Amino acid sequence: MRLHKTISVAARALALAGAVLIPTLSSGAATADNYPSERLNWTIAFGPGGGNDIMSRTIISILEKYKLYPGEIVAQNRSGGSGAVGWGYLFNQKGNPYHISSTSGSFITTPLKAKTPWTPTSFVPVALLAADDLVLVVNKTSKIKDFDQFIKEAKATPLAIGGMGAVNVDFIVPTLLAEKAGFKFDYVSFNKQGELTTALLSSALDAMVANPGDVAGLLESGDLRALGFSGTKTPDSLKGVPTFGEKGFELGISMPRGVVLPPDAPKEAQEWWIATMKKVVEKPEWAEYVKKHELTETVLWGDEFGKFLGTSQDEFARILKASGAIK
Amino acid sequence: MEIFDNLFLGLSVAISPINLVYLMLGSLIGMIIGIIPGFGPAAGLSILLPLTFGMDPTGAIIMLAAIYYGAMYGGTITSILLNTPGESAVVASTFDGFPLAQQGRAGPALVMQAVASFVGGTVGVILISVLAATFATVTRNFGPPEFFMLVMMGIVTLVVLIGENWRYGAISALIGFAIGTVGVDLETGIQRFTFGSAELISGVGFIPIAIGLFGLGELFYAFYQGLHRAGSGGIIQYQSEDRFWPTIRDWLDSRLAFVRGSILGFCIGVVPGAGATVASLMAYSIEKSSSRTPEKFGKGAMEGLVAPECANNAASSGAMVPLLTLGIPGSASTAVLLAALLMWGLKPGPLLMEQNPEFAWGLVASMYLGNMALLAISIFAIPLFVLFIKLPYRILAPAVILVCTMGTFSVHGSIVEVWLMVGAGVIGFFMKLYGFSPAATVLALVLGPLAEETLRQTLIISRGSPWIFIERGMSLGILIITLGVIVFGIWMGRSRKKLRARMT
Repeated sequence: MRLHKTISVAARALALAGAVLIPTLSSGAATADNYPSERLNWTIAFGPGGGNDIMSRTIISILEKYKLYPGEIVAQNRSGGSGAVGWGYLFNQKGNPYHISSTSGSFITTPLKAKTPWTPTSFVPVALLAADDLVLVVNKTSKIKDFDQFIKEAKATPLAIGGMGAVNVDFIVPTLLAEKAGFKFDYVSFNKQGELTTALLSSALDAMVANPGDVAGLLESGDLRALGFSGTKTPDSLKGVPTFGEKGFELGISMPRGVVLPPDAPKEAQEWWIATMKKVVEKPEWAEYVKKHELTETVLWGDEFGKFLGTSQDEFARILKASGAIK
Repeated sequence: MEIFDNLFLGLSVAISPINLVYLMLGSLIGMIIGIIPGFGPAAGLSILLPLTFGMDPTGAIIMLAAIYYGAMYGGTITSILLNTPGESAVVASTFDGFPLAQQGRAGPALVMQAVASFVGGTVGVILISVLAATFATVTRNFGPPEFFMLVMMGIVTLVVLIGENWRYGAISALIGFAIGTVGVDLETGIQRFTFGSAELISGVGFIPIAIGLFGLGELFYAFYQGLHRAGSGGIIQYQSEDRFWPTIRDWLDSRLAFVRGSILGFCIGVVPGAGATVASLMAYSIEKSSSRTPEKFGKGAMEGLVAPECANNAASSGAMVPLLTLGIPGSASTAVLLAALLMWGLKPGPLLMEQNPEFAWGLVASMYLGNMALLAISIFAIPLFVLFIKLPYRILAPAVILVCTMGTFSVHGSIVEVWLMVGAGVIGFFMKLYGFSPAATVLALVLGPLAEETLRQTLIISRGSPWIFIERGMSLGILIITLGVIVFGIWMGRSRKKLRARMT
């Protein structure tokens, strides 16, 4: 803190000396009274068009539309290694309050898979804004009609349940459910959503977990049947579908869609962003985004979000170690 | 007729002036994206996607779809001229496309590939308009067992490609299978051969290997031959360019290839997954094994270029079927299109065509127009491309290196992949020098992981029982066809030998 003060005193002295024309000099010298005053670099750890990209750009467009950020915002896609590249870049911007990034599921799983120098808790947490939760679905021809029957069938004979990837929330959710409800199952991992969905449609799989948005059309047409939802509150499109919690199996896990600052970012910057993101989530554009992408609005601020990241990470690590996916 | 009502509705949407502008723009961009190796439709689409945020969804999808199938037109151009396939679906087009160019027949080859793309694309759209619902049931019955059988069929056809030098061919394919094992084990999540590198977690991609083996390998080989001292002429000493249009003989030779390639391509394209690659491979091998002059294949047979070209374009239309009828993406590119549909607030699924007929049919109708536009653009642009290969070698070679590097880098923005490409280039040079088959390597790299994944998925589902392959109707059907192809191949080979024995 002392260093910051010294620098800011020096910066003010420079300003007095007439160096205001070169604002870049004061980089990293943010204080409560002049933050933010520079260009913001928004790192998107995935390519254009993906879930993370769309969320980041939605937030940026809201910030710009309502003039919530006084300066220019530059969004940059730094994709590669399932987020390892982009978040690694943010990690290297230690203490710099003019860098920011948005998180998604890989924020927890990538450090478990690869030896990244960072973990989810290395960063300064700003806010958890929404969560990707999963819906458990079966084919319409399945004899399983509802959640209770699913548990009953699953206990009688192990079912084949499909999902995306092995080191992913798609594996964690059914595993936790099985743990709590006391059944065994065969997890079948897929690489592409298209192949997963057709595997269920062709009745090769007994059930699958999916993001509600990926199966909304097939649920509406009646080709698939939704049995339960892993989040805390069912989205509108899944009206009438119980949550796992309502059935007595609260999982307490989801994919965090949030915002983080680099490690050691100043407290003022964290507070400024918490206040600003509180304004963002109140705008109609944000509500529309959450609805369109079938996300569950789950909001946690600052250190609460940090705590959430920590527990999610531990839970993921525990299950994946048990399955042998990670060491 | 309901179909004509629907198409008429679609046409009335598609020919509005603004949508025509989007269509032309999309076709042009698609073609250019296709030409750059590596920078395929999926990457191009996702970069342009944010631009469509504020656009009317119908106009936007018309443009994005045009980019998607337009890229298939452009993709073959580097296969023919530089022996560098920009994506796996156009590998089969190098087999006869490049020899044709070397024989000074680049003009006719490019014209024929444009026409083949047009025929394949148009047959594909006709089948979408008439039979989309029927083909959706094919998709519905396609689980991991069927997928595995289809991939096996693709692997069997590799044997046909390997040709006479089968020992080297088999080694080449095994190298590809080996490279394909790098990355996360899909079922357990355990990493294989990643050496702690985050970049290798998702495996070694097709693009760096293919561009390295083919593009750079060809270039190094040209240096080895001393072509850079020759002054003029392309990568390979192209013989004199005599004519631009294909001969009547070309048309006659390929008339059946048009039909077979297009229909086969569409049918395989509706299967989500590596549809276009398997389709183009199978189209090529069917054409070769049913030909009366199979020895001409690989040495510049026009039908050997036409069949895979029809197939991969028809397959890219076919991949629209699961997208439009079920809301399921069949490929990386259609996954971006699906993301676009969601972004515009549409709900992809079985009800899409009922609830948004002007959107769905506007798109289908625009695909007829788009294919015509692309044919016209291609024919118009071909003389330019033919000029390109006549550039002096000292200008062409650095340009090729630049394009290869940028194309590889643009896919994931990864420098590791660029080094992989350079490494593959060195290997590609030696493969060419000693007569190995880079095509077998890259195709094995695509098909190997698919075969592994689908087999393991199948066996987890069946709890280890292989009988699942014959218990499921469609899987059994594909198995019988595959066995039929093998028997037919052996039988054709024998009768040809007998024929030859009798003639001598």
